[in-house]
Amino acid sequence: MNRLKWLLAVMVALAMLAAACGDDDTTDADTPDPDPDPGGATEDPPEDLPDPEPDPPEDPPEDLPDPEPTTPAIATDVGVDDDTIRIGFLSDLSGIFAGLTVPITDGSQAYFERLNDQGGIAGRMIEVVVRDTGYDVPTHQTHYDELAGSGPDGVVMIGTSTGSPHTASIREDLIDDELAGIVLSWNSSWASAGSANVFEWGTNYCVEAMNGVSWLADAHDAKSIAIVTFPGDYGEDGAIGAKLAAEALGLEVVYDGQGSVVPGADQTPVITNIVESGADIVWVTTNASSLAELIGGAYGEGFTGQWGGNGPSFSSLLLPTAVGPILTANYTHFAPYASIGSGDSAGMADVLSLMREYAPDKQYLSVYINSWLMGEIARQGLEKAAENGDLTRAGVTAALQSIEVDFQGLAANANYAGDDPNDQIARGTWVYAVDHETYNGDATMLDDEGEGLTMIGENYVSEAAANWEYEPCFAI
Amino acid sequence: MFGRPHLYTSYEQETKILPTWTQKVFMAFFVMMLFLLPFDIPVLTDDIPGFGWVPIIGDGIPGFRFLGDENYMRSTTLVLILTIAALGLNLLSGVAGQVSLGHAFFMGVGACAGVYLGGEANSQVWGHGLPIWIWLPGAGVTAALVGVVVSPVAVRLRGLYLAIVTLGLVFVGIHFGNTSWGRKIAGPPSLGREFQDVQLKFWKEDNALIDFSDDGRWLWFDVTDAEKYYLLFLVLTIGFVLLAKNIMRTRTGRALQAIRDRDIAAEIMGVPEFRYKVIAFAVSSFFAGVAGALYAALSSQLLSDAFNLFLSVEFIAIILIGGAGTNAGTVIGTFFVVMIPRFVEDLTEWLAAAEGGVAGAVADVVLTGGGDFGLVASGIESQGWPMSVYDWNVVLFGLLIIVFLIFEPLGIYGIWVRIRNYWKRWPFSY
Repeated sequence: MNRLKWLLAVMVALAMLAAACGDDDTTDADTPDPDPDPGGATEDPPEDLPDPEPDPPEDPPEDLPDPEPTTPAIATDVGVDDDTIRIGFLSDLSGIFAGLTVPITDGSQAYFERLNDQGGIAGRMIEVVVRDTGYDVPTHQTHYDELAGSGPDGVVMIGTSTGSPHTASIREDLIDDELAGIVLSWNSSWASAGSANVFEWGTNYCVEAMNGVSWLADAHDAKSIAIVTFPGDYGEDGAIGAKLAAEALGLEVVYDGQGSVVPGADQTPVITNIVESGADIVWVTTNASSLAELIGGAYGEGFTGQWGGNGPSFSSLLLPTAVGPILTANYTHFAPYASIGSGDSAGMADVLSLMREYAPDKQYLSVYINSWLMGEIARQGLEKAAENGDLTRAGVTAALQSIEVDFQGLAANANYAGDDPNDQIARGTWVYAVDHETYNGDATMLDDEGEGLTMIGENYVSEAAANWEYEPCFAI
Repeated sequence: MFGRPHLYTSYEQETKILPTWTQKVFMAFFVMMLFLLPFDIPVLTDDIPGFGWVPIIGDGIPGFRFLGDENYMRSTTLVLILTIAALGLNLLSGVAGQVSLGHAFFMGVGACAGVYLGGEANSQVWGHGLPIWIWLPGAGVTAALVGVVVSPVAVRLRGLYLAIVTLGLVFVGIHFGNTSWGRKIAGPPSLGREFQDVQLKFWKEDNALIDFSDDGRWLWFDVTDAEKYYLLFLVLTIGFVLLAKNIMRTRTGRALQAIRDRDIAAEIMGVPEFRYKVIAFAVSSFFAGVAGALYAALSSQLLSDAFNLFLSVEFIAIILIGGAGTNAGTVIGTFFVVMIPRFVEDLTEWLAAAEGGVAGAVADVVLTGGGDFGLVASGIESQGWPMSVYDWNVVLFGLLIIVFLIFEPLGIYGIWVRIRNYWKRWPFSY
């Protein structure tokens, strides 16, 4: 009996093996395989040998840009072939920041579409590979693994990595994989040594808070300050910057609410503290809905000071609401780049022409500036790498680490060359008055205004920010 | 001669884990495949000739070989970890009938305990740097103790009320993450703290006995860190599946089922309700605690706000979709819930790239690429209709729960049982 069962088991196993092997012959014979490529798995290009021809002997001096694209001698490994360059995007398309990252990713696609129409980079078209992270660390890593793979699905660089903890969780992998990653997060840690392959751009929250507090103190002749922020990397980075500036300017911190604003919780105690402090100026590092709650509550209780905050604290969507008039009278908006349509820089003209041609129906929003800036970093890095004849992952990373990305007046230039973070970090802030009457939610890219912002300071660098010796304010 | 299905001549026979030989052979084959999944073995992993272009099916003989690719490795490992947690919830909700929305909280407790015991201390955070054989069980035991503290509530409350109380736990947990103690353990909110590497050590010596967090070579194979994690977690998951199965088929399991079916009747029959509810919470939390620590270890970043209500709801979905009260259903449900979004995204991308043929025709119908016709926007834009594939994924999740609750309360496992019974009785099935 038992022996029979054993026999049956062996037979079943053999049958399965036979069936499995048998498959080969039969399917081979009767399917001619009409379409060799849609799955892409049949013909892998050889990946191990980057280039049969070693190119180092002739190392051109860097100062002389070669006018002619030297296509024949470009080394490649993953994500680049003769026709395409693959760039990966780790975007939050379904999580809590989808409202922000979806238009940014849209804008990035428009940017590279135009770049392709203009001939691409080194004769190759850019292929944008977008992955949804849902603002979730494990999902971020999962998709990172996918993009960082060495097979035909891999990319040559990460064009956007959304979020601080998310990017922090892959920064060592970036170094191991020799991949460059452009980060969508303005934490002050990215310039530190552990994040060598994380490319930040724009003024970080900490420096922005220094500039903002200095501007407000100067404009309103302030003596005292209240600081209210979210807990965590964003809020506390801003809080520490605000305190550093207050110290430098001799402002008295009458209410230190670092980390006191917990999103979704009851803000009454915080509002009471602000009102009782009687501060001349209030610095906030929160999101727009918390700002509305705080400023509405404080003015409801008779507070009279002036307010300002880190970029993400404010959204034009607040202007048509009940707090619109309060914001108009009392709030100054600070951002790491020029808002859409403001100023007459060459960069702004380029963004407007890009959006008007490639996405004219989109709402008139500054978020597209992010797309353009990150697109510029990728483009200038890749072009430098192509010029060096090395479009490998390591080559692109090295190229980026050797350049200063020129944003043509749209934001403080991103300087990745050199080793001293003090030379690398951006310190300029753009300053805006807000006005609920000029806000128009129906404005599209073809209009000239609609966000309710008026630029009053361009690339403003306060003394506190200029003298600041770099160290991460709130370390990740 | 081979015995008849469902003809049991002893109780022992009926409660076997794998009652028939067919099941044993298939299970052995399946487990072997799971262990070989990450490796390239020519006969098993080559594309099936002529079908290489078909996604999933064409990829190697077992059909699921692609799950071991570097693209999928982390998702597959995540399935294993969440399976452990889901098995715990299944014991509590599926077997003992105590609905809990607090499962993510217990995972968080486990993760915090794990990093507190195993992480390195610095000026910002606490830690003891103990080896894995302390911090992993420690994570489970700490969560189990917290579960014991919570369990008396379950004796007083039932059903919806219990669900709401356990829901409260999640918010207690998130709040704890914001306190000064919480920050010392789990790092600042929304930023978290680095979780220690998974290394097997005797004590705090420098060189690990087995280092799971670095590439290396085991026997005849080069293994990456991802593959090492996978294999380690596979062993742990198999252990936990066996543990859960054994709890279910022993005295404890029968007592829990009696309580689920009618607690007062169970008490009258001599099943001490209080004791078994405490046991149910303790065991379930132990599973969750271990899974929580592993979850943080996999992403090497502990983020206290990751253990939120959504994760709890995900577990409820796993149990409902897979089939409440069964281990196989729990495993299938976890696989389904974790992998479906990946599959949907990959399929959409594959369709978008397809030209001509059947796939091209399907793509024309489903995607909006060619014109206004279609359900899925091929861009990433999310405003309005048709929705992007990412929005569809979120909607799909809710839809699946509704569909399964209405049409197949037994879950995917129930579907499988019906198919199996149909063929078992064939040709006399009705």
